[in-house]
Amino acid sequence: MKNTLYAAAAVASNSFRESVRNRFFTLFAVFAFTSIYASVLAGVMAVDQEGRVLADMGLALIELTALAYALFSASSSLLKEAETKTIYLVFSRPVPRWSYLAGKLAGVLLTSAFMLAVMGLMHLLLLSFRGFGVPPFYAWALGGSFLKLAVITSFAFFVSLFSTSPVSTLVISGILWTLGHFVPETRFLADQAGGLKGTALNAAVWLIPNLQLFNARDVSGSACVLGAPAFVSAAAWVGGSYLAALWLLRRKEF
Amino acid sequence: MTGPTVSFRGVEKTYRRPQLLGAVYHTAVKELSFEIPAGEVTGLLGLNGAGKTTIMKLITGLLFPTAGSVEIFGLPPTSRAAKGSVGFLPELPYFSPQESPGAVLAYYGRLSGLGGPDLAAGVEGALRRTGLEPHAGKRISEFSKGMLQRLGLAQALLHKPRLLVLDEPVSGLDPLAIHDIRGLLAALNADGCTIFLSSHSISEVEKLCSRVLIMVRGSLARTVTRAEWEAAPGGLEAIFVETVK
Repeated sequence: MKNTLYAAAAVASNSFRESVRNRFFTLFAVFAFTSIYASVLAGVMAVDQEGRVLADMGLALIELTALAYALFSASSSLLKEAETKTIYLVFSRPVPRWSYLAGKLAGVLLTSAFMLAVMGLMHLLLLSFRGFGVPPFYAWALGGSFLKLAVITSFAFFVSLFSTSPVSTLVISGILWTLGHFVPETRFLADQAGGLKGTALNAAVWLIPNLQLFNARDVSGSACVLGAPAFVSAAAWVGGSYLAALWLLRRKEF
Repeated sequence: MTGPTVSFRGVEKTYRRPQLLGAVYHTAVKELSFEIPAGEVTGLLGLNGAGKTTIMKLITGLLFPTAGSVEIFGLPPTSRAAKGSVGFLPELPYFSPQESPGAVLAYYGRLSGLGGPDLAAGVEGALRRTGLEPHAGKRISEFSKGMLQRLGLAQALLHKPRLLVLDEPVSGLDPLAIHDIRGLLAALNADGCTIFLSSHSISEVEKLCSRVLIMVRGSLARTVTRAEWEAAPGGLEAIFVETVK
């Protein structure tokens, strides 16, 4: 057990190292440029709400930038290792598949957390440069973004094991991410519709993660801490997707 | 008395390729039975598509047999104990170009269960044995094809395996690199390591191996010992050509 956890840690740290060396600084540069440009525009357009607009826009940009990285990485990671035959060097060793998958997932999540932290710091510096303090519940908002990324990344790993290309994994996961933000509306429509339509919509609600649970800054129009349902939901979705991905990976030949 | 290092009994491997309606099946190896005794250097010859790589992947647990059984040291190839005793060099291995050879070897060493002083000693020993020590400070992007092949061999040697499985170990190398790798494999074999290698180079197989398996369209067509090809006019090449035609 100790050896397999050691192997999972080795896979995670290798995945993190490769990400840092490959794409990080480009993404950070894109984020920094976009947020500075957006802050200039917000300053002109938002008048007396500049602080609020800058905070919300920055958090949205942080989440989208990290999402782009996490989805791209999760959808191409296993496929790239199979194509380059790197996976031969891993699975010909005493590395259990659950340990490898856990390591890969942990590597992407570690990278996402690091990205959120660095971009959050850049965002706070920009806010301070414009004369604003730390927005309320800022860390909770970043934590909510991380939980969302964890849910969608583990789902993307699962999809990547049966989809035909990274693009189809990106599209399917992107659709889930979008639908996940409309779960409360879907639930409302299900209640209104009733009958067969209502039953179908209610069933759909169970098949889609409610990503609104993780939006710390959206609840009741003001910031708040994340509730226990957010953590339970994230754990259930990450655990479920991981087990489904493992079921496929254990049957896969290379 | 110890058992064989590798044992194939009635092995068949059929690939399934899903299609829009149904699937297409292709049998890569069929009714394959052979053994590799401990301490022997065994070669695998065959034309493209003869099933050589499939055999290598079955030994390393990357593929599962459709029928029959494969055993490594009396264990299933997917078992941790079997995998811990095997070193594998696939054809044209890939390594991250930004990394140094030491970092790559440390990663694969950790995956093989090495840690602390054992890991450092394993990495240093593998670099030394494959002649990569002077290039330890370089990035892999600066490596030639021969150096990459040496690195591939180094990752296979890290954990001191008892069985080395090498897919085209001298493919695309210059004569000096081939000479060095041949010397390294001979030294490993002298230390008791069993070696199973596939190659398109008959002369290399002839120099290294004591026995050769010749595959034709997924079946084992002939097993030739060193004594047989040394006694045959035209050597191993003549036997191979006669077998595959």
